[in-house]
Amino acid sequence: MIAEEMLYFREILADRGIQFCYCGYITEDILSGIGSSLKQKLAMENTNREVARAVFSLFVEQVQNVIRYSAEKKLSAADSGLSDVELPFGLFSVGKKDDYYFVACGNMIPTGDVERLRGNLIKIQNMDKSELKALYKEILRGKTPEGSKGAGVGFIDIARRTTKGLEFDFHEINSEFAFFALKAYI
Amino acid sequence: MDNIKINRTERSPDIDFNFQNNVFSIRGESYPEDVPAFFGPPISSLESYLDGVSEGNVEFNFELIYFNSTSAKVMMKLFDFLDETARKGVNIAINWFYESDDDNMEELGIEFGEDLEAAAFNLKPIEA
Repeated sequence: MIAEEMLYFREILADRGIQFCYCGYITEDILSGIGSSLKQKLAMENTNREVARAVFSLFVEQVQNVIRYSAEKKLSAADSGLSDVELPFGLFSVGKKDDYYFVACGNMIPTGDVERLRGNLIKIQNMDKSELKALYKEILRGKTPEGSKGAGVGFIDIARRTTKGLEFDFHEINSEFAFFALKAYI
Repeated sequence: MDNIKINRTERSPDIDFNFQNNVFSIRGESYPEDVPAFFGPPISSLESYLDGVSEGNVEFNFELIYFNSTSAKVMMKLFDFLDETARKGVNIAINWFYESDDDNMEELGIEFGEDLEAAAFNLKPIEA
């Protein structure tokens, strides 16, 4: 029964082309661990080096976005003497479908942030290469604020790295939380 | 000023700041968990050192395999600071090493380098 259940779960993932996925509290250690096995896997499969670098970069930026912006957090008691650590909850996946690699992530955000984030992402999505570069540099120099937790430099980096486009979506849970998802293709 | 040598980890680069020879290098991967904590101390030593220098030759080597967007902020500020130092009369040469098949790293180098007014900038492809 358990085997069937897990196999069924695995088949759902495989059907969507998902090769790696994680759902739960995300820490920097998880980013390191999964990041290095992702690198190994891409190297083992002889993935084009340029593509492998881009997939890894999308992975790092997306996971760090979840760590930074997830509105669903749990306080975990730290070792004595240190203040408690906030563990952000989210999920991410890396996969390949129809010759494209994709990196996707999802996390809760405050419902009140949806419109601003949507607006910023639409703006980024419609920018051409040179506009993205100009905005990237402005933000790196601190001339344009990071969008007060809206679309920071990480999203611009993702938009610059993706070669086959970017999708995003929001699903309102209640007046407090909405679920945000982002998928970038290479 | 004492030389600074920090060895690379999977997520942070080698930092080799030689204040006697005026040769400074950052080499490796850069996506440390806490970017300001990692780069803050060596870069502030570098800044206070170069604030007191107004002539001579300084070489700065970047050889990065990957850096995340938070590290990019550090790079951009460092480039701007090195250019200011060059405007004071210091001969600054910035060398940007990248694997020759890494178009993205080459492009990032060009983007950082194109805003320099006084510092010299050299793209240095390494055969993979």
